[in-house]
Amino acid sequence: MKMRKAVSLALSAAMIASVFAMPASAEETGKVYYLNFKPEADQAWQDLAALYTEQTGVPVTVLTAASGQYNTTLQSEMAKSEMPTIFNVGNNDAANTWDNYTYDMSGTTLYDHLTDKSLVVSYNDKVSGVASFIECYGIIYNKTILEQYCAMDSAVVSSIDEINNFETLKAVAEDINSRVDEINDELGTFLTGAFASAGLDDGSSWRFSGHLAGLPLYYEFKDDGCDLVAGEGEIDGTYLDQYKAVWDMYVGTSSADPATLASGALNAEAEFGMGEAVFYQNGDWEYSAFTNPDNGYEVTGDDIGMMPIYFGVDDENEGLAVGTENYWAVNSQASEADIQASLDFLEWVITSDEGRDSVNNVMGLTAPYDTFEGDFATANLLARAANEYAAAGKTSVAWSFNATPNVDDWRADVVSALTAYTDGSGDWDAVKTAFVDGWANQWTLAHEE
Amino acid sequence: MNGKSMKKYFPIFVLPTMVAFTIGFIVPFAYGIFLSFCKFTTVTDWSWLGLRNYTRIFFVNGKLDTTFIHSLWYTALFTIVSMLIINVVSFAIAMLLTKGIKGTNLFRTVFFMPNLIGGIVLSYIWLMIFNAVLSSYSKTIISTQWYAFWGMIIVVCWQQIGYMMIIYVAGIQNVPGDLIEAAMIDGANSAQRLRYVIIPMLMPTISTCTFLTLTNGFKLFDQNLALTGGNPGKLSQLLALNIYDTMYGTTGWQGVGQAKAVIFFILVAVIAVAQNKLTTSKEVQ
Repeated sequence: MKMRKAVSLALSAAMIASVFAMPASAEETGKVYYLNFKPEADQAWQDLAALYTEQTGVPVTVLTAASGQYNTTLQSEMAKSEMPTIFNVGNNDAANTWDNYTYDMSGTTLYDHLTDKSLVVSYNDKVSGVASFIECYGIIYNKTILEQYCAMDSAVVSSIDEINNFETLKAVAEDINSRVDEINDELGTFLTGAFASAGLDDGSSWRFSGHLAGLPLYYEFKDDGCDLVAGEGEIDGTYLDQYKAVWDMYVGTSSADPATLASGALNAEAEFGMGEAVFYQNGDWEYSAFTNPDNGYEVTGDDIGMMPIYFGVDDENEGLAVGTENYWAVNSQASEADIQASLDFLEWVITSDEGRDSVNNVMGLTAPYDTFEGDFATANLLARAANEYAAAGKTSVAWSFNATPNVDDWRADVVSALTAYTDGSGDWDAVKTAFVDGWANQWTLAHEE
Repeated sequence: MNGKSMKKYFPIFVLPTMVAFTIGFIVPFAYGIFLSFCKFTTVTDWSWLGLRNYTRIFFVNGKLDTTFIHSLWYTALFTIVSMLIINVVSFAIAMLLTKGIKGTNLFRTVFFMPNLIGGIVLSYIWLMIFNAVLSSYSKTIISTQWYAFWGMIIVVCWQQIGYMMIIYVAGIQNVPGDLIEAAMIDGANSAQRLRYVIIPMLMPTISTCTFLTLTNGFKLFDQNLALTGGNPGKLSQLLALNIYDTMYGTTGWQGVGQAKAVIFFILVAVIAVAQNKLTTSKEVQ
């Protein structure tokens, strides 16, 4: 009996102690827990967090999800009592999933600093997330080789500027590809094809089921007058013929065997980096890969330029595709103090010298905020190309693929049909079906109660 | 210790394990079954749906959806084929390596080694080998679901044969020598000795090995993810990958993934119990 008394006494003592052990200070100032989306920027965020805590005393925790594991990590972290206060929302689909957790950002300083107010993800009549960084994509080309080619007497064009529409781009790519040995002999290059291989493996297929598919979607949304990044429930695939023409050009002017594209065939980045290909559809994030000396690539920062993916619809006015899949969302289910602390932290990142320096030079990203001016303008030459096209009066293409319902499922079906079409075991109609019918189907699924 | 004090102190000794088992298994398991009837974003944020998740496994947008059924029979076929090949081959190798040929220990080590490499790494290595070989025929491992099927069979066999072989070797060495000697004196040839003495004596080992290969086949995930990723389309998705894909790939379908997982559990449990009953009934005492 004595034993039992002692045990119950000890247990009650422990219970009472735990009640008083609640941290009082953090409740007043709030705390920040950032679930970071970009694994390559993990160290930069950890450093920023430590610096911010040192300056203000507000505790900032940064956790980075492993590549491709963001949703998995977010789902388990959100179930904890200490849930992330800042997280990444990638597109409309994610804003739908996390609707109960997104704080309306429309009245925040962060939103006020946005240079382009369309760089947000809106869902359910609120601004669910504001763009953290913007990126652009198009056709990256090897300026040096292309200039040398243009100087050849037999070339189809005499200057790069002449390549300003789909027909010319196609003619140049086909010419280079068909005379690759001749050109190598004359220019001393090591080309194997015009375009770097269009791999349809999981590590590369998003370039076509996401980015390239964004163009037919963009032009159709524009025709229909709906929100360019929120999209609509049913599409007609009006511009799929152009999509096919561009795809056929990629496959037809590359050295990769079309039947093996499903497994990635060749490494497209390395092909372009080693000067084996002149064109490569990708985005400005590749800039750091090509300029990083550790990768041992032949190309340098001066060699690379980017042109729009000329699509044969409105080539005179088409600019690069500018947008983002990275939106900051603040957790509406966090405490009042934590929400404020999180907003303050993000504001500090885009306004303080330390924060802006880190974003520009350490992370190498382009931030869409009016605070990034002068010394803090982006150092990424490919990102600057987007501004140059815009300054020349071209319209930047919106990232319309962000409207894709059930992104993974929809893309998987499109890629599978595209693979079958490319290796000859299927026809183009299946791609159309996956694209158009698949869209309506997944839209219904994603929006049902 | 007599029976009375055994009864008295029984709860105290069982308690720690019981608590751990409850926290680590029973609670999540029951909660998982509960969640399969809910729509949820995180496991603490749910709303009741009833049987909707279960009907959505088979009917999507009012139409029959065969993805789950396809992955069900694909998995069943995969399990049967891999179970047969692994057990037959590993038994044959075990027989060879108990005959006392030179270098037995070296061979045992070599055959066992693939088992020490993780499934993901192993599959990426095999992926390179397969694609390098197939590229000369303009094919890849995911050209059709059958390339993917045999690719996975090869990887899984290569990985598990060594492990099962070790279990068979131990079993064969435990067959009493006097039984075999007696059979020889009675005039049994080597095929008859295998059929009527060794295999019946090995039934416990065979039960263990078939049980392991059967459940491994059904639960296979790493190799599927790394080798084929479910491609082409979703045709080479085994059940575990299909569940994972539903859970994280489709907006708002966490509950459906959970419902699939419950069906998956029931299936594996029923088959494993049935297999165990079947093979243990053939064991000789």
